[in-house]
Amino acid sequence: MADLRAAVTHGVRYDCFGFSSLGAPVMASLSEEVLLVVKRVRQRKQDGTLYLMAERIAWGPEGKDRFTVSHLYADIRCQKISPDGKAKIQLQLVLHTGESTTFHFANESTALKDRDATKELLQQLLPKFKKKANKELEEKNRMLQEDPVLFQLYKDLVVSQVISAEEFWANRLSLNSVEHSLSNNNKQDVGISAAFLADIRPQTDGCNGLRYNLTSDIIESIFRTYPTVKQKYAENVPHSMTEKEFWTRFFQSHYFHRDRINTGQQDIFSECAKQDEKGLKSMVTQGVKNPMVDLLSLEDKTLDEGYGTATAPTTSNPSNKSLRENSNSAIIKRFNHHSAMVLAAGLRKTDAPNDQASETSSTDGNSRDSDFFQPPVKKVKLQEAIEYDDLQGDSGRRTIALNLKKSDRYSHGPIPLQSQHYSSSQDIINSISIIQHEMRNYKPRLTQVMSSSAASSAITALSPGGLLMQSGGQQTINQLVPTDVQSELKHLYTAVGELLRHFWSCFPVNTPFLEEKVVKMKSNLERFQLTKLRPFQEKIQRQYLSTNLTGHLEEMLQAAYNKFQAWQTRRMMRKT
Amino acid sequence: MASDDEINILVIVLDVNPIWWGQQAQREPQFTLSTCLDSLMVLANAHLVLSRTNKLAVIANLYQKSHFLYPSKRWKSGDDIPASSDGKYELLSVINDLFADEIRNLMDRTEVSGSQTDSLLAVSLAKALCYIHRVSKDVQAGQDVKSRILVIKAAEDSTLQYMNFMNVIFAAQKKNILIDACVLDADSGLLQQACDITGGLYLRIPQKIALTQYLLWVFLPDAEQRSQLLLPPPVHVDYRAACFCHRNLIEIGYVCSVCLSIFCNFSPICTTCETAFKMPLPQMAKTKKKKVKTAN
Repeated sequence: MADLRAAVTHGVRYDCFGFSSLGAPVMASLSEEVLLVVKRVRQRKQDGTLYLMAERIAWGPEGKDRFTVSHLYADIRCQKISPDGKAKIQLQLVLHTGESTTFHFANESTALKDRDATKELLQQLLPKFKKKANKELEEKNRMLQEDPVLFQLYKDLVVSQVISAEEFWANRLSLNSVEHSLSNNNKQDVGISAAFLADIRPQTDGCNGLRYNLTSDIIESIFRTYPTVKQKYAENVPHSMTEKEFWTRFFQSHYFHRDRINTGQQDIFSECAKQDEKGLKSMVTQGVKNPMVDLLSLEDKTLDEGYGTATAPTTSNPSNKSLRENSNSAIIKRFNHHSAMVLAAGLRKTDAPNDQASETSSTDGNSRDSDFFQPPVKKVKLQEAIEYDDLQGDSGRRTIALNLKKSDRYSHGPIPLQSQHYSSSQDIINSISIIQHEMRNYKPRLTQVMSSSAASSAITALSPGGLLMQSGGQQTINQLVPTDVQSELKHLYTAVGELLRHFWSCFPVNTPFLEEKVVKMKSNLERFQLTKLRPFQEKIQRQYLSTNLTGHLEEMLQAAYNKFQAWQTRRMMRKT
Repeated sequence: MASDDEINILVIVLDVNPIWWGQQAQREPQFTLSTCLDSLMVLANAHLVLSRTNKLAVIANLYQKSHFLYPSKRWKSGDDIPASSDGKYELLSVINDLFADEIRNLMDRTEVSGSQTDSLLAVSLAKALCYIHRVSKDVQAGQDVKSRILVIKAAEDSTLQYMNFMNVIFAAQKKNILIDACVLDADSGLLQQACDITGGLYLRIPQKIALTQYLLWVFLPDAEQRSQLLLPPPVHVDYRAACFCHRNLIEIGYVCSVCLSIFCNFSPICTTCETAFKMPLPQMAKTKKKKVKTAN
């Protein structure tokens, strides 16, 4: 069908060879440009030819003039190829709808080349045709997948035809597109893993070679951490060498390897090494500006013989150092430098757009420290370290005292008046004398504390069903109602909530659009009641659940109907 | 041993208001203070026998003071314990004797007072909390302390102690101390709230002579064991507040934002703190002025 449209718009005549029942398009019209033709391509065990056109890819069986398979590039979501080493060389196209078509390249000699050529062409063409509308579809899919409540609501309302899909998405999509754009602006930059160089593990190639697998992430990390390498890359590629050559030389150079002692060779990276040394020296001279940190006191200290390493006093004569010490210190220097660069790269990225002017040193971020520890900040830090807040005196906050006229009201608080039992003074004296008399002769008689009849009557009262256990049979509703009924009720509530929200948002009805919407929503509500609520009620009645689970839902719907009624009568009256 | 790791403290707060008990003795001669004390002793012994690490304290509260019946100041733990005549566990016999001694002395020293006749429940509860706090500090590392307070209530509530009482209840809740209540006579709203807030049990005894049975059945098990037993269900607590002006229970009222006193009617000046309030006037509905076409 796309063919027909294209032909009509281009005004080119072409012959119809008849349509199949699926409406498969006919042979290409002359206006379509064929970019690639691949012979001997099998599809569904049939030999044929694959054609890649300007806007679509098509395949026709051998000997026939029709295309049995044709897909617009816009419909194709992605392509997949069979892995190297498999006997069958295949290419699979996955469409947005989920369908997939597989092509098997069966030409003995050129199958792999054909398949790769097709793949390259598709890789270039597909991105051009990615339709914007599909992005929206993907957005919707993503939202539905992320939020199960939304998904359930969608299923309840749209799939069962209570409201249309447009109404459902009307409010939601606008919200989300705004959020999405905001989040894109504030996207956080991914930091650099400190082990990124170690992650490039070389794989042996079988014959004495090494294979380094470089992904674009690793390349980016290298560029961010070592800006000199980035500079070199910009200078040399693609003028004097290809990317592959650059990286090969990078890995070969001693710059990359640990020992870095012999840097005198003719190497494009020897400059990088020299700059790194300069950077390291400048870092050391700058030192750390934080007055609380004393790096120089960190040394290998020995407690006694056998504890820790005894450091010989470092002589200033470098030639006295053994070779091993030299390489040790070189490694340690490299580690320090690497860590400093990784940290600096992280800082640099966030500060770069803000203050270009204050970038004093380009190789390390320690210049930031000097900004941080200006005199007032230093003073504050020192104060924090010496003083404790809660040991200070009262800060003497000014408060307003509460002025109470009748403060005796608080002594009894919000307790109702209780009838006081009045005892006359004679009563009191009597009672006290009785008690005192009794207690004077008190001797505990523990074996005769209770009669067995009293005990058994108490036990009866405390047993289930007894006097004191009457209200124990009450169970909460969520114990009586089975969980599937509960979850269905929750879904009903969400669905009704959504519908009622649409309904109530129409009031006050000002525009004809809202009038239509109100009427439509009322019919939607009625339809919902009929299709969802009634069956649910019948179901719980069949289960002999006596609790009234849907009373509130009915009330809400009734309130909506009443409002609609009132609005309609008022409208009638206004018209007459 | 695993059982050494848990210490259960039971503090019994007994209401020995002599006026009420004296009148009770006249009403029902078979259930008097002696019987009640016997029942309590049975409960105390049972609690101590349940586990070696259980601890006990008994506080008697009167209208003038509250007094520790056990552990009392007179007994030092190093004292000689007389060999018991009936083969009872020495600790129990000592406790019973002490208990009886102390209550006798206490009753002897009671003075007649006409003015204040209410039991000071909040005071006893506060003392109980302090005792529990002290004992919890003395335990060894790794030992768990679970404590509860059992209040035996005889006379009526004293409303003057409301503030102190509520403070005590919230302190107990913070320290995870259960407050149980065994009420002999009239229902007490304050104790119902206390039990509800701290998670304890409130029970009003229908038959006083069977007090021992109720105590052993309901109040002897501790909090963990209670979840496995079928005990009387919790009472519905009336949390309604009473207004400050009429002392009626209300459900919806007005609260002054300055002094937090509750009123049932709106008044422009709060009578407790004399703050003036401005009430927003109801908006007059704006009538739509229809444009009258004058026939000019």
